Amino acid sequence: MKRLKKLGALLAALLRELADESAYRRHLAAHGRAHSGAEWRRFSDQRLRARYTRPKCC
Amino acid sequence: MKRTLGWFLWAAVSVVAAVALGVVALTRGEAIDSMWLVLAAACTFALGFRFYGKFIAARVMALDDTRATPAERLRNGHDFEPTNKWILFGHHFAAIAGPGPLVGPVLAAQFGYLPGTLWIIAGAVMGGAVQDFTILFASMRRDGKSLGEMAREEIGKVGGFTALVTVLLIMIVLLATVALVVVNALKGSPWGTFTIAATMPIALFMGLYLRYVRPGKVLECSAMGFGLVVAAIFGGQAVAASAALGPVFTLSGTALAVAIIVYGFFASALPVWLLLAPRDYLSTFVKLGVVSMLAVGILVVRPHLQLPPFTRFTDGTGPIFGGKVFPFCFITIACGAISGFHALISSGTTPKMIARESHALRIGYGSMLLEGFVAVMAMIAASVMQPGVYFAVNSPAGVVGATPQAAAATISSWGFPVTAASMESLARAVGEKTLFFRTGGAPSLALGMAHIFARAGGRAVLGFWYHFAIMFEALFILTLIDAGTRVGRFMLQDMLGHVAKPLGRTSWMPGVIATSAAIVAAWGYFLYQGVRDPLGGINTLWPLFGISNQLLSAVALCVGTTILIKMHRARYIWITGIPLAWLVVVTFTAGWQKIFSPLANVGFLAHAGRLGARLESGAAAASQAAEIRRLILNDRLDAVVCGVFLALVATILLDSLRVWAGILRGTRPATLNEASFVPTKLDRESL
Repeated sequence: MKRLKKLGALLAALLRELADESAYRRHLAAHGRAHSGAEWRRFSDQRLRARYTRPKCC
Repeated sequence: MKRTLGWFLWAAVSVVAAVALGVVALTRGEAIDSMWLVLAAACTFALGFRFYGKFIAARVMALDDTRATPAERLRNGHDFEPTNKWILFGHHFAAIAGPGPLVGPVLAAQFGYLPGTLWIIAGAVMGGAVQDFTILFASMRRDGKSLGEMAREEIGKVGGFTALVTVLLIMIVLLATVALVVVNALKGSPWGTFTIAATMPIALFMGLYLRYVRPGKVLECSAMGFGLVVAAIFGGQAVAASAALGPVFTLSGTALAVAIIVYGFFASALPVWLLLAPRDYLSTFVKLGVVSMLAVGILVVRPHLQLPPFTRFTDGTGPIFGGKVFPFCFITIACGAISGFHALISSGTTPKMIARESHALRIGYGSMLLEGFVAVMAMIAASVMQPGVYFAVNSPAGVVGATPQAAAATISSWGFPVTAASMESLARAVGEKTLFFRTGGAPSLALGMAHIFARAGGRAVLGFWYHFAIMFEALFILTLIDAGTRVGRFMLQDMLGHVAKPLGRTSWMPGVIATSAAIVAAWGYFLYQGVRDPLGGINTLWPLFGISNQLLSAVALCVGTTILIKMHRARYIWITGIPLAWLVVVTFTAGWQKIFSPLANVGFLAHAGRLGARLESGAAAASQAAEIRRLILNDRLDAVVCGVFLALVATILLDSLRVWAGILRGTRPATLNEASFVPTKLDRESL
């Protein structure tokens, strides 16, 4: 049961990482800022700009 | 005691691998259980990881966990962030898994299931995983530098610039090829076309929702998007049945190609948060979900393979693409065995997130093995269909005959019985008008997947699963087209910026429009010629894409070999040298044959010559003359493109050989451009 819970937590963490939600949390923590619509947009713009200058895999 | 048990366990895995490979390779004349393929792949990959991967990690790369990685040294909360190894494994796998490992094996199944399966297993262990791991390691030791930057620093300016041009050209061929896969899947299919068209407003809704309604709630937004996409699949069934809407969404290949070209232009110029990013999030989750479902489906259903291990088409007369099993099987399956594009990912985000050097083995080597496993599943999905059905779906009308009856008769005459009536019944079951001539691999993969998924719900749900699979494939192909066009535009702007400064500015709108148009026009031209090709187009574009992708691998392996030599590991250069030599032989043979083969079903110039002779002899009607001249031009253009790829990679190879010889002779310094050693301060618990 404990292992199953650990696996579930890991999967949830993976989904949050793929969704950039973890990166956003890190961004807020690193800059000491609180969540807001404007802050998300600032973070998202910066992150997406970097991501889509690199080719995606086939 | 534990050690002895471990050795017994690995001995047992080796025995199972040997037995499974034996069954897969030696069984003739009966349908084998797909579990043998699963076992052969899983056990060989486990052995490859445990022994070969660990050997490279320990002896060759000497991964050092006391050394701080760029994620720790340059930590900034954005790109550089030490990440849990399993999370990063999933992240890296999601980034490398695209349509390639799914479509390639389906097309290569024309040779039978055996050649492709063996190549996937051997290629992934000895080639693909080694390449991904080596480049990931090299980039990790160089602060996350890209493949192009490493090529420039380690080989030289010529190598670096050539690598950049090679990547740009390969992207153009890649985008045209995958766009053609989507066009062929949606041609004459109102259900599929409606579903894919609906993903665009859904993505726009998601983009606005994420930006203004619930900022930051990506998972919540993606779950809503997934619900809407599933609703669109059901809606598509109603649209297809509607007398008013059905014809609106029944589009020809040409109309779909034009729509995708126009879409590509606008999508690459729109803000990424509006369309590209929300669909990319959704596509990533759907991709991981569907791949997992397919794995579970195969394990539960355990379908039997209907395709034989070898077909008669190993001799090069295949209807899907021309050319013998060597070299064409090895370039048709690229991403499932070894893919140059993975080197771009391994030198992209991932090296910036590795917490400890030892994690690179699991992430670089392990993710590629999982990708190989996806390719084996795609091979199974293609092989569970009756061979007659497989060839009816994948063969172009120009080869098997323009009517269902003629096609069924031709395919049956090859020893793969199929009837027009049974194909019509199958088409009705999946909600399509016809399944003949649906080249490109996506429809047959969707059929195979639907066949496996529907075993739980009966034939009634076959249509849903077929269109679900089509949606899944089209979703990430369209994302690839958006992102690829955008990246191609940036690369072009980067190059043109050296000639005229304003063209290099990504904020200068005329420059953005001009370069976007140039990139779209480039891949759009190849797409358009593929759609108009009477032989289906995929027979031309997929080999071209396979050759170019494998050539990019050769570039990556040149960089990897150079780094090994500079690390004074010359005695281990066979690790990257063997896959490099194999790829050079395979791709140069395939490239040479595609240009110069005297057989018209293989060589571009021979095909152009045959068309020219037909024109000169007056055998073609006057109304067809313009069309034939266009086909001749396209053949010659394809030959030139293929030749350019070979020349570019030959340049990098020769440049690398010059550098290697200099270092080994001692006339050139073996200067490594690694970041300096800094001891790690991360404790194991914090990871």
